Amino acid sequence: MKGLDARLLAAHEAGDKSALVTLYQQAAKEAETEDAAGFFLVHAYVFALESGHRDAPALRRRLVALKREE
Amino acid sequence: MANDLSPTDLSAVRRPLPQAQGLPNAHYTDPAVFEEEKHALLFSQWAGLAVGADVPQPGDAKPISFLGVPLLLLRDKQGQVRVFQNICRHRGMILVEEPRKIEGAIRCPYHSWCYSTEGRLVSTPHVGGPGQNLHPGIDRSTLGLIEVRSHIWRDVVFVNISGEAPDFEVMHADLIARWAEFEQPLFHGGADSRFELAVKTNWKLAVENYCESYHLPWVHPGLNSYSRLEDHYHIEQPGAYSGQGTLVYRQLTGDDGQTFPDFKGLGEKWNEGAEYVSLFPNVLFAVQRDHCYAILLEPRGLDETVEHIHIYYPSADTDPALRRKNTELWKGVFIEDIGVVEGMQRGRHAPGFDGGRFSPAMDGPTHLFHDWVAAQVEAARARSA
Ligand code: FES
Ligand SMILES: [Fe+2]
Repeated sequence: MKGLDARLLAAHEAGDKSALVTLYQQAAKEAETEDAAGFFLVHAYVFALESGHRDAPALRRRLVALKREE
Repeated sequence: MANDLSPTDLSAVRRPLPQAQGLPNAHYTDPAVFEEEKHALLFSQWAGLAVGADVPQPGDAKPISFLGVPLLLLRDKQGQVRVFQNICRHRGMILVEEPRKIEGAIRCPYHSWCYSTEGRLVSTPHVGGPGQNLHPGIDRSTLGLIEVRSHIWRDVVFVNISGEAPDFEVMHADLIARWAEFEQPLFHGGADSRFELAVKTNWKLAVENYCESYHLPWVHPGLNSYSRLEDHYHIEQPGAYSGQGTLVYRQLTGDDGQTFPDFKGLGEKWNEGAEYVSLFPNVLFAVQRDHCYAILLEPRGLDETVEHIHIYYPSADTDPALRRKNTELWKGVFIEDIGVVEGMQRGRHAPGFDGGRFSPAMDGPTHLFHDWVAAQVEAARARSA
């Protein structure tokens, strides 16, 4: 199993939006501070929004709750 | 030469047809006049940009550069066709580079600001610092995509770049009424019913050539047998459109005698009647009992024009072989016209050509277009004076 960083890079390379949504959520989960988690959640949300991913509404709600999105 | 200091003299163009001259050479050869006409004839009018069939499904997006202006043709999630400036409100980056489907939102490739297909700015990642998509200085409601005024008629997407023209339906009420019987669903024939022709000519010469029937027996001898000169009449609506009609339109028949279905409920006149109209500035239309077409003239430069041809039928279900035959027939006709529109363009480089003398009997529709051009250019000059 490749590390998260490598898988993120590969997903960016491949333009695999669905993988990016999943991997950035995982990165958020593994982040050590709320700020770092917020950063990754933003990325997960943006790629979900772009691709019409089913997680987009839930990601937005989480960011709104963190006062990072409206 | 024309420039801000010495505009072209259009007085001879504005005379009545028997005494009039055609537009001066500079209107075909001078970059300064091309620039002047770009605003007066294309941006301030309702110019044909594309067709709805270019973006058939919700989310379909097609970037189009129109005279250098980056535009985005988009069918929103509700199914409405819209035209936006194809740029991000952040740093002005081009948003969409290739025709594609927008699955969710349009994400700018630079810093990932996201826009809905209706043009709303829906997310501004890290705009307030890392992980923070909000900032009091960023009011998303004022930062949506810039929408360009558009109107769809007969599937053609018209745009008014200046935003100041009267409503399309007001400006073109006369042609809309004239062809009211054809106001019914049009079905684009699909991939076999669209083609492009790149022509080395100023776009106006393509309009002028389309208006007139004078050249038919000479340039289209094949059409002559069933479309003689005396079976044609002029169509002249000053300030809006001109063209020609025929009284002897014959339906295309396939090898086994098959024909296309007719549009529903057409009056008698259309049994053997058909009309071909240049709607100013740049869309050439045809209506016939069993199919229609639109030719969008895309001005790429002073002497560079791309003709985008789209053929429409009364039904979604037409015979593919007959459709292809029809496309080939029209393509052959339009190719026959290339030699003359390119030849007239080269002819405009003859020093001292006075714009030419019209046939008082045959060139009414052409002069009507020249007179429209002259009137629009003069009006624009008066506005900027
Ligand atoms: S230019 Fe579009 S997000 Fe920065
Ligand atoms: Fe012709």
